[in-house]
Amino acid sequence: MLTTRLTLGKYTCGMVASLIIFLAGGWLILAPFALGYQPYGADWTTQTVNDFATGIPVAVVALASFALFFISLIGSLRAGGILVSRPRPQPQAPVEYQPHVTAPLASVTSQSDLDKTLATLAAALAADLTARRQAGGDQQSDQQVEQMMNRREA
Amino acid sequence: MHVGDAFRRLVPPGSWVLFLFFLAGIWLAISPFAMTTQPSGTHWITPTINNVAIGAIIMVVSLLGILGYMLFALRDLIREAQAKQDIERQAIELPANQ
Repeated sequence: MLTTRLTLGKYTCGMVASLIIFLAGGWLILAPFALGYQPYGADWTTQTVNDFATGIPVAVVALASFALFFISLIGSLRAGGILVSRPRPQPQAPVEYQPHVTAPLASVTSQSDLDKTLATLAAALAADLTARRQAGGDQQSDQQVEQMMNRREA
Repeated sequence: MHVGDAFRRLVPPGSWVLFLFFLAGIWLAISPFAMTTQPSGTHWITPTINNVAIGAIIMVVSLLGILGYMLFALRDLIREAQAKQDIERQAIELPANQ
C-alpha cells in the first residue's frame, strides 16, 4: 500500500531562515541609530545609506520568501488532505416566479391523512354509541318486562 | 519522474530567494572595505563590525535554509521512490502467489 508521509520540515526550514533574515534586515535599518554611528541631525553617512539600501530590500524580500514557503506549506497540506479548501459560494441566479407545485400536493396529502383520522374517529364513536344504545335498550327492555310481570301479579 | 521535476522539487522559488540573500550577505560583509569606509590598517570600526556580523549571519542562515530544504526534499523523494518500488514488487508477487 502506498503511504505518503507528509513532511513539513523543509517548509519550516525555509520559513525560519526567511524570518531570521527578515529580523537581520530590520536590524540593518535600525543599526546606524542604535549603535550611534549616524550623528543626530546630520546628513546620512555612507554606512547609513549602505545599511538602509541593503536592509530595506532584504527585509522586504525576506517577507516575500516567507510568503512563498508558507504558500508551499499550505499547498502541501491541501494535497495531503489535512486542509480542506472551503467550497466557494455559487452565485445565485436571479429568482424568477415559479408556480408553487409542491404546496397543493402537500396539502392534499395532509388532507387525506386528516380524512382518514376523522373517519377512524367517527367509526369508533359510532361503534361506541351503538354499544351504549344496545346496553341501554337491554336495560329498558328488562325494566319493561319486570313492570309487566308486576302488573300481572297485581 | 524526470530530472527537471526532481530539480524543481529540490529547489523551489523560495530557495532562489534565499540564494539572493546569500549574495546580499556577501555584499554586506565586504561593503565596508569595498566602499572604503573602513580605514586600512586600523581596528575595525563599529559599522564594519556590524556589517560583517550581519552579513555573515545572513550568509550562514540562507545557506542553511537552502541546504535544509534540499535535504528534506531529497528525503521525501527517496521515500516516494521506495514506496513505488514496494508497490511494484507486491504487484509482481501477487499473480505469482495466485
